[in-house]
Amino acid sequence: MSESDLAGARAASDEDRRGAAESVGVPLEGGVSDAFVRERASATPSKTAFTATTPTPRDPFPSDRSRAVRAAPLDLPLRALQHWFAAAIMHPHGVAAGIEQTAAHGASAVALGDVERVLLPSSRLSGIERLAVYGDAYRARLVECLADDYPALKYALGDDAFEALCLRYIARHPSESPNLNAFGRHMTAFCRDEERPALQFEAELAALEWAMVEVLHASSAQKLDLATLATVPGDRWAQARFSASGTVRVMEFSHPVNAFFQAFRTDQAPGVPAPTWSATAVFRDGATIWRMNLSRAMHALLMSLFGGTPLGPALESLARAGQLTEEEGAQVMVWFRDWVRHGFFAQIETE
Amino acid sequence: MSNRFGFPDLGIGLGLRTVHYAHLLEHWPDVGWFEIISENYMQTAGRPLYFLDQIAERYPIVMHGVSMSIGSTDDLDVGYLGELKALRDRTRALWVSDHLCWTGVAGRNTHDLLPLPYTEEALRHTAERVRRVQDFLGAPLLLENPSSYAEFAGSSMTEWEFLARLSEEADCGLLLDVNNIYVSACNHGYRPADYLNGIPFDRVAQMHVAGHTDQGTHIVDTHIGPVLGAVWELARQAYERAPGTSLLLEWDAEIPPFEDVHREALKATAFVAPREVDRRAPSRRAAPAGP
Repeated sequence: MSESDLAGARAASDEDRRGAAESVGVPLEGGVSDAFVRERASATPSKTAFTATTPTPRDPFPSDRSRAVRAAPLDLPLRALQHWFAAAIMHPHGVAAGIEQTAAHGASAVALGDVERVLLPSSRLSGIERLAVYGDAYRARLVECLADDYPALKYALGDDAFEALCLRYIARHPSESPNLNAFGRHMTAFCRDEERPALQFEAELAALEWAMVEVLHASSAQKLDLATLATVPGDRWAQARFSASGTVRVMEFSHPVNAFFQAFRTDQAPGVPAPTWSATAVFRDGATIWRMNLSRAMHALLMSLFGGTPLGPALESLARAGQLTEEEGAQVMVWFRDWVRHGFFAQIETE
Repeated sequence: MSNRFGFPDLGIGLGLRTVHYAHLLEHWPDVGWFEIISENYMQTAGRPLYFLDQIAERYPIVMHGVSMSIGSTDDLDVGYLGELKALRDRTRALWVSDHLCWTGVAGRNTHDLLPLPYTEEALRHTAERVRRVQDFLGAPLLLENPSSYAEFAGSSMTEWEFLARLSEEADCGLLLDVNNIYVSACNHGYRPADYLNGIPFDRVAQMHVAGHTDQGTHIVDTHIGPVLGAVWELARQAYERAPGTSLLLEWDAEIPPFEDVHREALKATAFVAPREVDRRAPSRRAAPAGP
């Protein structure tokens, strides 16, 4: 079955019953070809000019660019030099602002006019312009990283607004890790709690996209399989507890986030949707990441089980709350086989 | 093999890139070896390792890092080094390399390869850290000459003098990136030939070639291919001084299909003697470990 077959089947089904009827989710990727994984490289991004961060060019050939007449180098210890350099290139308003700020705070002895006593000019760039190459590359690399993690968010906001959002994010959450895998982890909270006005739909979209990043990197070493499930005696089912595997995330939204994402992935140019309840499971099965829409009953049952409630009490609670119809109750074992087949559970405990 | 460390001649290799996973796993092409960006397979227990394990079963792997920050004045990140060592053991990587640079300070990481001033202080500082890393890894570290876009007024020696003295004082190896020599030479106005003349080639265990982008005011090391003719010529000149050195093509922007990248790398056969691909026999494990 192809991705388009599945998408077509989904579109024809009732929204709250998607996933239950189809038994499989919507594949994010059909095979091992993988443009989704963010990839580090030792290369420098080709984009090297953020309008806000590149200093205004001065006279292109000032006499002080001549190495023969330049002022004596400033003698900065290595540690002070690195602090100065980093503060300049990481400053959200550009290297000149960074230099002025550190000098004003007494954190550096390098005034803006003294930059070329630290960094030599080249035949075509001043010292501060050469520093700005690094400042621009710093932001470009991290914006690229966030664009890799949040392609649908980028689409939803538009390129310019997304880049502006990313620059605010980078200033608020600079990387403190040697690795970029988790750099974008604050985006949901950032959209919801720190942007004004709050980006509610975008926050939910970011949560879906970050869930895909998380399951991509999660270990699938421990997964309950169907053979183990088949060994559970019938009289033990009610007290069975299921723990979530590392490669599944279950999410509840106030917008049809997965439907938007699927439309984005299939080039249907979706608009920002009106609020409506939805829930989605994101999981990795082998090398492929999938998304499965969940009914209210499926979502409630999974959340209850992942919270440690045994199966029997979880189902009784759902029934009491009117969240599980008789028809759905008859489908529970079908759901379970599907969830187990896709590795939703790490293990089952029946004692 | 001409290096003093005994690192083998792997012939012509390629940087492993995710867009080529599908091709590799379907065709298992005859490629001498792959270089991985170490950080792409660290802080993950999932899909990146799922693919890497399968590829490492079939091909020699070497590791190339971008976050060791060997020149930083922050403390060495022991957690990072531990994970690096574990990845080396997992992939049976033949050697580990990183860059002569720093990537951050005060706990912040810029994820860029930032330039060092070439001073006596920086030399002492970096050499001491290289020795500590090598003690930790139990093997020589290879350091790559970076592309740079700025140079410090306070430098008291050239980059090649710094590399030569550093490799001697720390007893480490070198990964000579001839594209980076070309890029930095253009940006700073020196002659690549002077650079090559200053390199201790008995310490060079690997070479890189790559493409770059001319921005008009400076050249950027974008790793966009194909490789410029002048860079291939520089690679030939470097290889003549260290025949039998493993040579690798990096292609990281607008990456074309695998065959095109491989074809570009094989241009090196103009000066690298043909050799039989030394592909690892698949192990007796029935299947690679799951992610």
